[in-house]
Amino acid sequence: MATELLEYHNVLLKSLFTEAIIEQQEPVAINQLVSDFDNVTYHISTPEAKSKILVSMYIKSWKDLVKYGAQDIIKREYKDLVTETEQGYDFSLLIDLDKLPNSLEERMKLVADLSLLRRNTMAAPFELAFKKFQAMNKEATQNGLDYYQPSAQDLEIMSIHYRDEESIFIQPNFDRVTVTFGTVFKDETDQVFGKVFLQEFVDARRRAIQNAPQVLYSKQPPLELRELIKKDAGNVGYVTFVLFPAHLTAQRQERCISHIQTFRDYFHYHIKCSKAYVHSRMRFRTDEFLKVLNRAKPENIERERKTASGRRFAAR
Amino acid sequence: MSLHAPAVVMDNGTGLTKLGFAGNDSPSFVFPTAIATSGGGVSNRRSTMPNYVIGDEAIAKADGSNYALSYPIRHGMIENWDQMERFWESSIFKYLRCEPEDHRFLLTEPPLNAPENREMTAEIMFETFNCAGLYIAVQAVLALAASWTSSKVVGQPLTGTVIDSGDGVTHVIAVAEGYVIGSSIKHIPIAGRDITSFIQGMLRDRGEAETSLRTAERIKQEYCYVSPNIVNEFKRFDQEPDRFKKYVAELANGRSVKVDVGYERFMAPEIFFSPEIATSDYLTPLPEVVDTVVQGSPMDVRKGLYKNIVLSGGSTMFKDFGRRLQRDIKKLVDERIHKSERLTGGKSSGVEVQVISHKRQRNAVWFGGSLLAQTPEFKNYCYTKQDYDEYGPGIVRQFSLFNVN
Repeated sequence: MATELLEYHNVLLKSLFTEAIIEQQEPVAINQLVSDFDNVTYHISTPEAKSKILVSMYIKSWKDLVKYGAQDIIKREYKDLVTETEQGYDFSLLIDLDKLPNSLEERMKLVADLSLLRRNTMAAPFELAFKKFQAMNKEATQNGLDYYQPSAQDLEIMSIHYRDEESIFIQPNFDRVTVTFGTVFKDETDQVFGKVFLQEFVDARRRAIQNAPQVLYSKQPPLELRELIKKDAGNVGYVTFVLFPAHLTAQRQERCISHIQTFRDYFHYHIKCSKAYVHSRMRFRTDEFLKVLNRAKPENIERERKTASGRRFAAR
Repeated sequence: MSLHAPAVVMDNGTGLTKLGFAGNDSPSFVFPTAIATSGGGVSNRRSTMPNYVIGDEAIAKADGSNYALSYPIRHGMIENWDQMERFWESSIFKYLRCEPEDHRFLLTEPPLNAPENREMTAEIMFETFNCAGLYIAVQAVLALAASWTSSKVVGQPLTGTVIDSGDGVTHVIAVAEGYVIGSSIKHIPIAGRDITSFIQGMLRDRGEAETSLRTAERIKQEYCYVSPNIVNEFKRFDQEPDRFKKYVAELANGRSVKVDVGYERFMAPEIFFSPEIATSDYLTPLPEVVDTVVQGSPMDVRKGLYKNIVLSGGSTMFKDFGRRLQRDIKKLVDERIHKSERLTGGKSSGVEVQVISHKRQRNAVWFGGSLLAQTPEFKNYCYTKQDYDEYGPGIVRQFSLFNVN
């Protein structure tokens, strides 16, 4: 594939904080409104003093995320940076440039953490699901796999409505975690491209990459989600990733969360890349055809020339 | 525009691209309009999709052998649509990180852009990106809009003369009621790059220790200003030695060298006003060009054009640039009035000449775009995907003009 994965961090946040925290450039007044994927908006400002940067984040699915422990995660990741929430946003962090950690490593880490705001917030339900999976898995291995019946509460499906018509559903179980994306295509062409892509995802596992998570694609919502999805918006396709214990080990977990979160954006990005590619082929083709047409033009045949009044030129 | 899906403002210039969200007072990203590609390529029959990077990364990558660098925009117009489509793709997904279906877009175009180019732009924005809405504005008009923040400007006039001086070329464009007067546009081949190389030349002539382009550029940005009169300025330099400065240049090996900064402080920007000191190819001073442009416009808008001369672009940022320009143009205008008074025996009511300098000059075009795109009315002026599907690309040939109030 031509283009690599999308970054997990926000480029602007990263460059801004690199300048302020690592390079220690002269603090400047900032007032920027920036957006990120999945209806995230950041407001970066310096309301009190130039050395105090306030970062506020709005995320559409905040209500859902809070249900699954987003606030705890933010507390865990950003500790005492968390401050009073700015109006109109979901939470705010205050970075005081005069009270930075001393060592370069710590500062680098701070910048990296700050630029992953969206990723960390969105990670909450995934972490919760993985935790539940670990617990159930442990219990199951102790009690014998064959007879294990997980409680209904543990199997509860978490839904995150991160866009107007699209949601992510996560269901932990004792031997896997299933993540389902409902994807809507506003455009018919996108839908066709999307279908081809998803089919490839499904086939990839069969053909080459054995250790990839299983991917299922259907036009109907998966059975276990039927109750949650009351109205079908039409063009919705459901992509289900089945994460097996191999993907959920402690070392892999973080990467797994990062990857799976960007799935939708990655998917749409690639649909757009493919369209751009097809367009460039089309332009190339048109140019070729034009060349052929130009070659096919008849040569200028010498016609007999006459004056305006109709008299002829006589050869001398 | 709602708070949580701000419109995207993209100003793709020949040299630099400015990207950001409406409502901000400066662009979030400013990087070269360059794209580096490797592999693939359309001429190759069994082609694979090429890899590509844009902006500063592209410039960095181009040093290696695998990547080919190209600049999709030439003289303000998009020349290579394949590359431009990829450039936008990266801009939107990798830098701005937004889903184009959720945001409206404001793009800019140079004056006298061919309508076909607009259609191509619309085709890409709607068919590839399915963007929610599109508005294409003329750069000069946005520069006028940016000047509304200045306290000298009364109301929100869309009539004025725009002097846009970037790195490569300087344009003087007359705009009447939001429409560019195409026949009177003038280009001057003197801009930022020429000033930098003029400084570099002076440093070399004096035999300074460090005469790289970077040093010259830093000196230009930090020390240069426009003087009212160069002869007097020379005298003042000789009387007041503290006018000579020292610039500390850091070398690649970590050492630093002191570079003297002298007459180039006022001589370099002077080439706008007396081009003969730098080149023999072009000899018309900027104030004269501005005057010609206004005189080449319809009679009934000339007063408005003189009254609202707006600066835009990095090379107009020199201290007192606007003041000097205003004085020189005023002089030309007054001379003409006197002459006509003498010849006709009448009495003129006078013509007001005003050059507007403001804080946002450097990214004036982008800022103007941000200003317009943040208004709640913006969405009414955009064309949506539905409109596009209904009428086809021809729809973007006409955009209604913006008036904020």
